[in-house]
Amino acid sequence: MKAYLKNAATAGIIFGIITTFLFLINFIGTAADLIGDITKSRPGSSILGLSAVMFNQLIFLGLIGIWAGARGSRKDSRLEDTWKHVLIGGALAGAVHGLIAGSLAFLVGSLNTAGVKINEYLSQILPEVIRIFLLNKTPLQGALFYLVFMTLMGMLGGLFGRGVLRSTWRKNIGARRKELWNSLTHHEKVLKIRANPLTRYVVYGLLLLFVFLMPLQIGQYWNYTVGTIGIYVLLGLGLNIVVGMAGLLDLGYVAFFAIGAYSVALLTAPTPHNLQWSFWLVLPIGIILASLTGILLGIPVLRMRGDYLAIVTLGFGEIIRILSKSVLLTPFSGGPKGVFNVGAPTLFGKPFNSDVNFVWLITLGCLLVIFVTNRLQNSRVGRAWEAMREDETVAQAMGINTLTHKLMAFAIGAAFAGLGGILFASRNQFTGPEDHSLMVSINVLSLVIVGGMGSIPGVIAGAFVLKGLPEILRQLENYRVLFFGVLLVVMMVIRPEGLIPGSRQKLELQHTDKSQAPPDTADASEGSSPS
Amino acid sequence: MPMLEVHNIHTYYDNIHALKGVSLSVEQGEIVTLIGGNGAGKTTTLRSISGLRKTSRGSIRLNGEELGAYKPHEIVSKSVSMVPEGRGVFARLSVAENLDMGAYIRRDRKGVEADLERVFEIFPRLKERRKQVAGTLSGGEQQMLAIGRALMAHPTLLLLDEPSMGLAPILVESIFETIQQINQEGTTILLVEQNALMALSVANRGYVLQTGEIVLSDTAANLKQNEMVQKAYLGME
Ligand SMILES: Nc1ncnc2c1ncn2[C@@H]1O[C@H](COP(=O)(O)OP(=O)(O)O)[C@@H](O)[C@H]1O
Ligand SMILES: [Mg+2]
Repeated sequence: MKAYLKNAATAGIIFGIITTFLFLINFIGTAADLIGDITKSRPGSSILGLSAVMFNQLIFLGLIGIWAGARGSRKDSRLEDTWKHVLIGGALAGAVHGLIAGSLAFLVGSLNTAGVKINEYLSQILPEVIRIFLLNKTPLQGALFYLVFMTLMGMLGGLFGRGVLRSTWRKNIGARRKELWNSLTHHEKVLKIRANPLTRYVVYGLLLLFVFLMPLQIGQYWNYTVGTIGIYVLLGLGLNIVVGMAGLLDLGYVAFFAIGAYSVALLTAPTPHNLQWSFWLVLPIGIILASLTGILLGIPVLRMRGDYLAIVTLGFGEIIRILSKSVLLTPFSGGPKGVFNVGAPTLFGKPFNSDVNFVWLITLGCLLVIFVTNRLQNSRVGRAWEAMREDETVAQAMGINTLTHKLMAFAIGAAFAGLGGILFASRNQFTGPEDHSLMVSINVLSLVIVGGMGSIPGVIAGAFVLKGLPEILRQLENYRVLFFGVLLVVMMVIRPEGLIPGSRQKLELQHTDKSQAPPDTADASEGSSPS
Repeated sequence: MPMLEVHNIHTYYDNIHALKGVSLSVEQGEIVTLIGGNGAGKTTTLRSISGLRKTSRGSIRLNGEELGAYKPHEIVSKSVSMVPEGRGVFARLSVAENLDMGAYIRRDRKGVEADLERVFEIFPRLKERRKQVAGTLSGGEQQMLAIGRALMAHPTLLLLDEPSMGLAPILVESIFETIQQINQEGTTILLVEQNALMALSVANRGYVLQTGEIVLSDTAANLKQNEMVQKAYLGME
């Protein structure tokens, strides 16, 4: 099969799975409600013969379909990005996507008609949700509709990808911005100041002072927000090692967060076990448990590559949550209600429980993890991760034991997440199944991508944008989500490599920008394709 | 006892039977070439030797020791190193970092430094471009880097997969000269090539691989004179 067709089909399958998942957790319904809020469509009204909520749902699904098409029509580097490829690729991605979404519609529709109560197994999937998903039609009609709809959206997405995402004007904006930035940062005086080692200490000192003083000033609500940002920085740095450095797409990352949170909860809270151990004792236990779980999960899973790894880890994340929620395990895990009165640390006998204290503690955790990450990045292990991410087979041929290095990345990433979970549960004095939903993994992955993979400042910036900005935008009320979405899209357009990309990513993008032919070669293109 | 002895190996990719009982041997100090057309199984043979692809039958012995049970990184530490097809340089790492990766398994810092000097002596171009990102090197320079990187492991047996691929004729010649030089300095070489003419002019002996089977083996000089080889691989009538 031609490479671009394969790429399109793969995109279709991946987006089909994404859509299925979004349906199963009824995110589609939530999104439709949000769109309804934003457009202020009256719930009872009908548009094009569809009720408002169905119409809004289709807007959301349409956007996903367009995205699938845009990804599926992505240019194969050896091919011209022609309109034909764009349309066929988009249509194929859309058709595969639609086939999966349609099969889903047919399946749940038929089960529903047959009287199976799906919501007994998947609490979100009420008969009403199914009826809306099928647009009031029979299962077969619904399935056919999604096949056609997604194919069309895929083609539209292909056009969108070619006309907007990969267009020359976008490249121009990027280049202009880069120029401006460079002229500022590489100005003579700026360079001189930057070169002075004193500058560094002064900047760090001021930053520390700021971090120390700020919590005293901003009040409880903002301290809570800043603390959450800090916890997401921890998670982001951990996932950054797993995804950004070692190149392993882990979608079940929240599992390790959950293990950290439940360790501290079950060992320090008065119920369900009344162990009431000290926080400082539980801290290393939780971290070690999380990283051991990382290794245990890693051993079977890490032999897989790419998409499979993503799906299996995603399942693992959900399993942990479902287990913690299960009624059967309630005496052990606290069940659906969660665990209350999680213990806080004490320092010199004083309980350590104000919002200000926790911001300090979380900041300390972040600094520690930043330090460790930085050391790792420049270590032998870091170099091996880098090599594996570029070309696993060649890395093996260099004598790198790829399996142990992947396990190490998994274990370290899990340890960071465990620390995040411990701090999170302890600060909230509570943890429960809903703290550990798939959304956490998605959020963390988004912040790593938004911030720039493989870059520590990028992860911090990403956490601020994804977790801090929505709070700041709260003033905008209903428009907040819309505004936030637009902002993210604009950002991905002008900074596709992330806010603050890692230096390697920067290099890569720069030399594709220049795209000058190397001096002696007609060979680069033919030479590098494996036969 | 030969340094490398491959006996009757079979290797599969799912249901594709890529190697159907390949046997070959390489004596200490030799350059042995394995020639064959596209898809003959040359790369698969090298991958089987270096452990990247499991063989389903047959044996591979290095100085008498069976390699079958070893993982790729363990085979590297037995002083077998490979220059992969298409070079496989780490595009985002600098030249110096790529060379460093070649010495990944080594702990003797002095020896590594000496080998780095040696690589820079063989390829002065790499020294000039030490700090450059490998992805921005020209094709010829990338090939030098790939060979240099393999030398950084201080191999006794060097496996080369189509070093001439995609290079301009002048560069091909100089790469083959370098290969001879490396051999004269004591490294045994198994050279996989489609460019049979060049390969046979530097090698001591050669094997001809066709659709997963060795169809001919002889000294390089004899193979050059062989009618079938001339027709199929040297473009002579
Ligand atoms: N990764 C792979 N998956 C499936 N088949 C492969 C793979 N690599 C090689 N093959 C097949 O194995 C055979 C030998 O390939 P290869 O060893 O690459 O040949 P050569 O290096 O001589 O060109 C070919 O038929 C090729 O199609
Ligand atoms: Mg080959």
